[in-house]
Amino acid sequence: MSRANSATSMRDALYEAPGPRTRRKIVVGTVISLALVALGVAAVIRQFYVTGQLAPRYWSFLLEWTTWRFLLQGLMGTVQVALTAGVIALVLGLLLMLGRTSGVRPLSALCRVVTDFFRGVPSLLLIYFFFFVPAQLGLKMPSFWMLTLPVALAASGVLAEVFRAGVNAVPRGQVEAAMSIGLSSAKTMFKIVLPQAVRYVIPSLIAQLVVVVKDTTVAYVVSYPDLMQNARVLITSYDALVSMYLVVAVIYILINYLINRASVYIANKTGVKIIR
Amino acid sequence: MGLTELLGTYGQNYLNGLLTTWSLTAVSFVFVMVLAVAVTVMRVSPFAPLRVVGDLYVQVFRNIPGVALLIIIAYALPDLNVVLDWRTCVIVTTILMGSAFGSENFMSGINTIGVGQIEAARSIGLSFGQILRRIVIPQALRTTVLPMTNLLIAVMLTTALGSQVPLSPQELTGVVSYVNTRATGGILAFLVSAVGYVGTALVISLAGNRIDRRVRILR
Amino acid sequence: MKEQSAAEKSVPVIELRHVDKHFGDLHVLRDINLTVEKGEVLVVIGPSGSGKSTMCRTINRLETIDSGEILIEGEPLPQEGAELTRMRAELGMVFQQFNLFAHMTILDNVTLGPREVLGVPRDEAERRAMELLERVGVAEQAQKVPAQLSGGQQQRAAIARSLAMRPKAMMFDEPTSALDPEMINEVLDVMVELAREGMTMVVVTHEMNFARRVADRVVFMADGQIVEEGAPDEFFDHPRTQRARDFLDSIKGH
Repeated sequence: MSRANSATSMRDALYEAPGPRTRRKIVVGTVISLALVALGVAAVIRQFYVTGQLAPRYWSFLLEWTTWRFLLQGLMGTVQVALTAGVIALVLGLLLMLGRTSGVRPLSALCRVVTDFFRGVPSLLLIYFFFFVPAQLGLKMPSFWMLTLPVALAASGVLAEVFRAGVNAVPRGQVEAAMSIGLSSAKTMFKIVLPQAVRYVIPSLIAQLVVVVKDTTVAYVVSYPDLMQNARVLITSYDALVSMYLVVAVIYILINYLINRASVYIANKTGVKIIR
Repeated sequence: MGLTELLGTYGQNYLNGLLTTWSLTAVSFVFVMVLAVAVTVMRVSPFAPLRVVGDLYVQVFRNIPGVALLIIIAYALPDLNVVLDWRTCVIVTTILMGSAFGSENFMSGINTIGVGQIEAARSIGLSFGQILRRIVIPQALRTTVLPMTNLLIAVMLTTALGSQVPLSPQELTGVVSYVNTRATGGILAFLVSAVGYVGTALVISLAGNRIDRRVRILR
Repeated sequence: MKEQSAAEKSVPVIELRHVDKHFGDLHVLRDINLTVEKGEVLVVIGPSGSGKSTMCRTINRLETIDSGEILIEGEPLPQEGAELTRMRAELGMVFQQFNLFAHMTILDNVTLGPREVLGVPRDEAERRAMELLERVGVAEQAQKVPAQLSGGQQQRAAIARSLAMRPKAMMFDEPTSALDPEMINEVLDVMVELAREGMTMVVVTHEMNFARRVADRVVFMADGQIVEEGAPDEFFDHPRTQRARDFLDSIKGH
């Protein structure tokens, strides 16, 4: 019964404990694959070298405090947009879900169409919409909102579905029990179902923040100073395109990686699944 | 600008845009699947360096913003003597991102199989290859139909990145910005493209659901 | 002829010699020595965590051992490759969780081994599979997938899947522990039938009535050791060790 060492992940479970012959093959394979990987890395570095991209002038500006301060300012812009859009998307997503599950036919249909629309349209299209249309209608919109609103709308469609999955995950018996003690269906939703549903979906909501952060990167379309836009400014002043873009990419990857890790951590801790 | 006028003037652009979006999506998705399989094979191989590279690949390309990746491929790679035409840039970006998610789908498909079935297969004397062929791959494929359907839609949405480079012909999102820089297209100009996306997504997801119902594995 | 059968009898189907195994710091098998003769039904009992499942699983190398020897009909258990798969094909194994292949019909579950491993043609494999499914009482379910069957039916189908390989011996790793009470007997009945037909069996179980009725020999394990072994009546009525007495008392309470 106690199988403490039994494989925890399937990718290990695919292989049984190797015998001596298999072990030798694995060692040989590991050495060969390590050599291939090293060769690949070397080829990339060589390409950087022969194109002169390793020259100090492409990298030295990264040692300057002003560079990082400017990037940090951009990052703060990114964070502001992402968090604002996230909050709006939470509210909108929740409303869309409530509308869809309300049982009121026209409202339910409308919310469904809206949800599917925002899920089925690229966020770039929504961003162009807020870039062009309000101006055409004579509205002057700050670039912050030209970016934040479309990002929020795109996310709200996904979040509505995440919330709905959360509501569906609440055991049917909970609803029945609430009804049987005489709670109205609205009270049942708000007092019994939603609080539990929210607990189910918290890790999924955090995971969706990654999508929001990614969507903010097109800030340059509306000239909002986010991390990417500020990096572009630095590129023109230092003429260091490759190095700057790589650094910015790594920053984004790290941020999103950490968000994902947080989501997985909470999911594991509370024993819920991440809905995507 | 009314719908008739809009379509009268730019109808051909929209049609080309839709076809371009479709072709970008189709070409990308084929390579997404191929690369996703390759990356997944690396990640489940018994060789640690390949596993590390595979895991790293997935972490990098599922977390990098599409625009950042496209810009690197389109504008930074030429400085490294790697010059791709615009269309290829968009496709490569989409493939790299899509395959990371595709591999994640395959991995979770493999994870749902469970150790027990592998042990049962071993105990009736199936070899490693036979276990892969008869137990692991069929189940992983059949459980990933719905996630892969969603990935196909995501790949289509990712091709909107094409609006960030001078593609010719343009795809659906690029068409809208093209129309709007020349005329006051208003909401309608966006709705036409949106209908193209949402309609395609609807068809894909209907087809995916139908296939899933046929091959779903009861558990 | 007589000589030959005597020689055959002298080689146990399964033999464990000084088998040791650790899971990290945990010493799960301590110097296990055990033989199972042809046609013998050996029942292994003991508290959970005693190592009885692990021992059962070492016999076809689902678990590896740290030291000692495992012999199948006098031949050392191979460590890998075609030799290992061939040996496994000759040993049946039934799991607590049935472990039927979820994507295949019951019939395909039973024919997979014979077709893939033994190279039996499809129609012959199916004919034989239907016979076996008939025998364990789930022939009507042949075209269904595992999830459509009850636990008891799944476990009987899993037994048929093992039998389809015409094994020299069958291992049962707590075959009824995951079953609802009303389904336990339908599985035990199949096992009793098998024992009566002379199948060599190693059964890890908590079903004491089954042990008393069917076992030729009972092995009691605790803390990774074989604490006591003997004929069932002797063991259940006059356990020699305090450990065994405590264990038997504890399950009598239920």
